[in-house]
Amino acid sequence: MTLTGFWDTAKHAFGVKRLFWRIFIAFWLASLLVMIATGFVLVNKFSSDEYNKRFYNDVIIQAERIVWRYEQNLATPIRQQRKLKNWISNKNNRDGHLIPMLIKDESGNTIYHYRLNKIKSEERTEQRVSGPSSRIYLVQMSKPQAPRIYKQVLYRFQSLQFGFIFIASALVSALLSWSIILPLNYLGTFSRRYANHQEVVPLPRKLLARGDELGDLALDIDFMVNKTHAAASAQQQLLHDVSHELRAPLARLQVSAALIEQKSPDSQHVKQIHSDCLRIDQLIQQILDYSKLEQSSPSAENCDINALCQQAIDNMAVNYPSIPVSFTSVDKVEIPGYPEALLQAFDNIIGNACKYSANGELVEVSTSSREHSVVVMVRDHGPGVDEEEMSKLLQPFYRAGNKMHTSGFGLGLSIAVKAIDKHKGELRISSPDDGGLCVEIILPRELI
Amino acid sequence: MENDKYKILLVDDDVTLCALLSEFLQEDGFTVETLNSGDVAVARLLESNEFDTVVLDIMMPGMSGLDVLRTVRAKQQVPILMLTGRGDDIDRIVGLEMGADDYLAKPCNPRELSARIRAIIRRTQQGNSNHIVHAQLHGIVLDSGARSALVNNVALPLTGAEFNALSLLMERAGQTISKQDMTQEVLNRPLEAYDRAMDVHVSRIRQKLAAADIHDVIKSVRGVGYQMLTEPQLQKEKG
Repeated sequence: MTLTGFWDTAKHAFGVKRLFWRIFIAFWLASLLVMIATGFVLVNKFSSDEYNKRFYNDVIIQAERIVWRYEQNLATPIRQQRKLKNWISNKNNRDGHLIPMLIKDESGNTIYHYRLNKIKSEERTEQRVSGPSSRIYLVQMSKPQAPRIYKQVLYRFQSLQFGFIFIASALVSALLSWSIILPLNYLGTFSRRYANHQEVVPLPRKLLARGDELGDLALDIDFMVNKTHAAASAQQQLLHDVSHELRAPLARLQVSAALIEQKSPDSQHVKQIHSDCLRIDQLIQQILDYSKLEQSSPSAENCDINALCQQAIDNMAVNYPSIPVSFTSVDKVEIPGYPEALLQAFDNIIGNACKYSANGELVEVSTSSREHSVVVMVRDHGPGVDEEEMSKLLQPFYRAGNKMHTSGFGLGLSIAVKAIDKHKGELRISSPDDGGLCVEIILPRELI
Repeated sequence: MENDKYKILLVDDDVTLCALLSEFLQEDGFTVETLNSGDVAVARLLESNEFDTVVLDIMMPGMSGLDVLRTVRAKQQVPILMLTGRGDDIDRIVGLEMGADDYLAKPCNPRELSARIRAIIRRTQQGNSNHIVHAQLHGIVLDSGARSALVNNVALPLTGAEFNALSLLMERAGQTISKQDMTQEVLNRPLEAYDRAMDVHVSRIRQKLAAADIHDVIKSVRGVGYQMLTEPQLQKEKG
């Protein structure tokens, strides 16, 4: 495979347009967003509540201590204040700082004040504490505000969780996406295989019994393939039976014509009947050959490709005595296969080459061996085929009739292609620059 | 007509076709008897050997043509011409291996059938002439008079076509004989496309010779035909 080919395949399998990635990314993003939003709200609320609680707690503990000391000493407020502050910053420096607050006694005298001036009255809040003498004091403080640093700490903590969420949701999304894509891919392969090889492989029970929409789809596809297969088989069978049944009357027709011929030997009409009988017989034969290839064959056997080519060339030497056919071969090449089908393919392809060659024009047949395949090449020097006609060549009943009108039914190449398909091989047709047509039959060495 | 003395048995399940063919062959000078099923044909053939040639349809319901061929060949050497479906290679090869003398694809032009019957009869008649040739090679002794082969004084059973093929090969030992020539000389008819008759006859001869411990004396020349090796040639091949 070339690099671009590989890239195309990769793009096809892993491209952004693939449903897998779409489902994966959509689901992942959605789950991430939801998780982040909820996480944010929850963390925010909890952390501020907790902060508030701790803040009030700290303030009240500090205020209670101040009040307690205040009542014990009963010093003048101003002198007392400095002492209190020193005492608190010495002793109660759990957080290493004094909390800004204002404490007033019942009569409204300020007994303690620390840095509350700058804070506006609407940002203040009040709490009441009671001293040992059960007098009530009013404590003013700023409303609790979760500080920025605190938030950042929270955020950092959250980002570790975020990592987990990130990975977990990716895993879950991939799993979900995969569970949808896997059966779809399987169904795709299944139907493609049927289209290419007309093989009906039963779908896995697990897939059919899923019960969801994919299971339904699998059931429908299974149903469709079986129906189509039955219809195609019935058609094949009909074609086969009709062709077969046509032979008996054809045989009688020929004898009747011959009887007339005995009585009037020079009749042109009888000659016409004979030649048409022959033509019908050939068509029936080709249809039967074609339908025979559709049927399953017995097990493969070793086929000597050179011998089969030689046999086909011998056959053609009888049919086209004026066309020389050369044969070059490598050493013995044997592949597993169905000799009858292969011979038919070689016959038809070499026959075509002879048919489209003028008298004396050489047809070259050669076999060559590659690592994984055997190639049979048939090259003629006839008129060749137009580029646009090339693809139509393989259709049943198509004849490259623009260039010439020759006998035949256009089934020959279709039969050859079918036979080659049966060997998982490949047929390539090309127009060499110096005219004519080159047909390559590539047969794999392994029949898998 | 000269064919008058020859009696043909026509076996085919298609009654109308039998009637038409019989009319045609009678017009051509043969005496024709028709039968429409395999078992009746076997009974008729085993009770008498008055027929010069049997034309036998392979595709018959009940007892098939191949079954008839097998049963009759075990007891009789009457020349048998098979009618096979076109493309039924297996039937042809099996039929020839079972000892049919030749085959013809059906549907066929009756003139071709008539010509084939005449070819078979002429071939059979040759043997009855007094043209006696003794050929000897590789320990095989051919007696054209008795139309038999002897290997180490043991008779080697050969059908008519096999005998003709072997005697042709021995007469021209050392030369390559093309399939066209062999078909013409042995079967009295031209070679056709997809014609395996000569290959089957030669392969049968090889088998029979191998059974008598004579190996590799007939060589296939790819794309041309067959060759009976002379003693020096055989030594060279083996050496």
